[in-house]
Amino acid sequence: MDRLPRGRHGLSPEFVARNQRQRLISALILTLADVGYQKTTVSMIGRRAAVSKSDFYKHFESKDECFLAAYDHAIDRLRGAVIEACAKVDGEAWPARVRAGIVALLGLLSAEPALAAILLAEGLRAGRGIYDRYQAAVESFVPLLRRGAPEPPGGGEVPPATDEAVVGGIASLLSRRAIAGEAAGLAALTPDVLEFALTPHLGTEAARRIISAG
Amino acid sequence: MTTARPQLPPEFVAAHKRRRMVDAMAELCAEQGYEATKIADVVRTAHVARKTLYDNFSGKEELFLAAFDTTVADGDAAVAEACESLGDDTWEERAEAVLRALLEFVAAHPAQARLCLVEAPAAGATSAARYDAAVETYIEHLRRAAPPGGGRPATLEEALVGGTLWVVQRQVRNGGAEEALDLLPELLEFVISPYRGVGKR
Repeated sequence: MDRLPRGRHGLSPEFVARNQRQRLISALILTLADVGYQKTTVSMIGRRAAVSKSDFYKHFESKDECFLAAYDHAIDRLRGAVIEACAKVDGEAWPARVRAGIVALLGLLSAEPALAAILLAEGLRAGRGIYDRYQAAVESFVPLLRRGAPEPPGGGEVPPATDEAVVGGIASLLSRRAIAGEAAGLAALTPDVLEFALTPHLGTEAARRIISAG
Repeated sequence: MTTARPQLPPEFVAAHKRRRMVDAMAELCAEQGYEATKIADVVRTAHVARKTLYDNFSGKEELFLAAFDTTVADGDAAVAEACESLGDDTWEERAEAVLRALLEFVAAHPAQARLCLVEAPAAGATSAARYDAAVETYIEHLRRAAPPGGGRPATLEEALVGGTLWVVQRQVRNGGAEEALDLLPELLEFVISPYRGVGKR
């Protein structure tokens, strides 16, 4: 997010404050990706955001509070991108919606490795409170996957914990890649992740047919 | 004549004390979480002198890591024992035996399971790395045990182990460790279904 013009600009104080807060959040996410959670300081965040230290403390009591806001912001962006991508193909069948969601998920994380770092790697090292947010965020993707999912070919229902396992498994895989510093390559895992997500409901063969059909 | 305590070998006493401290750490973490657990709590719960604790461990983190390592080793031993009794079983039967042993271990040791699955990933960088390393060995095990066959995603075992642990930690976190075995049918299907064709159900 860009700095605002200096001097008299006629912008409302609320607008300026919101803009500053947003800049601080973006700066924390970028700094965290560069130097890790421990080494990130309020000064570094302020410098990157071009916001003075005293203005920082108008928005946040501490680095940790800024961090929590940044974590929530990062989750909202990622989930928002997935929901939007799914909504665009709302009229289509379940596999098309799952594909759209996964393409959006992996696409955004690949394009912005700093987002992957705070959500899935370095951010998770910031203590219990953040880890609980991570887990709640992962669980919030389960209803998105489940909505409109067909019954498996063998009949019966896909048991409830299976979708949890699928979503948790994907999160674990992405986290491993992000920790290894490979977030930029996550988009390449799209076929793998899609097959993993579709298989419990469609079976392996049908899932692969859909994936190879593109 | 004074009634002397029976003389136990010093190594036995030392190992027993160590075990008590490790167990106390797990119990306290289960009750109040890692961050809130203090050395003073451990000393009181384990009935050892503060000096004894510091003779054995540099501090809270090292004690926590020892509790993690001990539990993982115990869990691995339980799984290995379950595998020993197997003969020419199919891969699916072996997978069931491993999963059952793991879930039974969780059910029998709720506090230790919580320490490993719920607390360890969030208890600092060293602990998280230790957790990740344990996950890595489970992935390697599954890769070696999985039936041969082409065309499967190279990341399948990572996602299956991650997903299984996710569901088990969720059960433990929600206070259902004792009922972990209820998850067996579902998790077994989750793990083995990607390895068989749909038509062969």
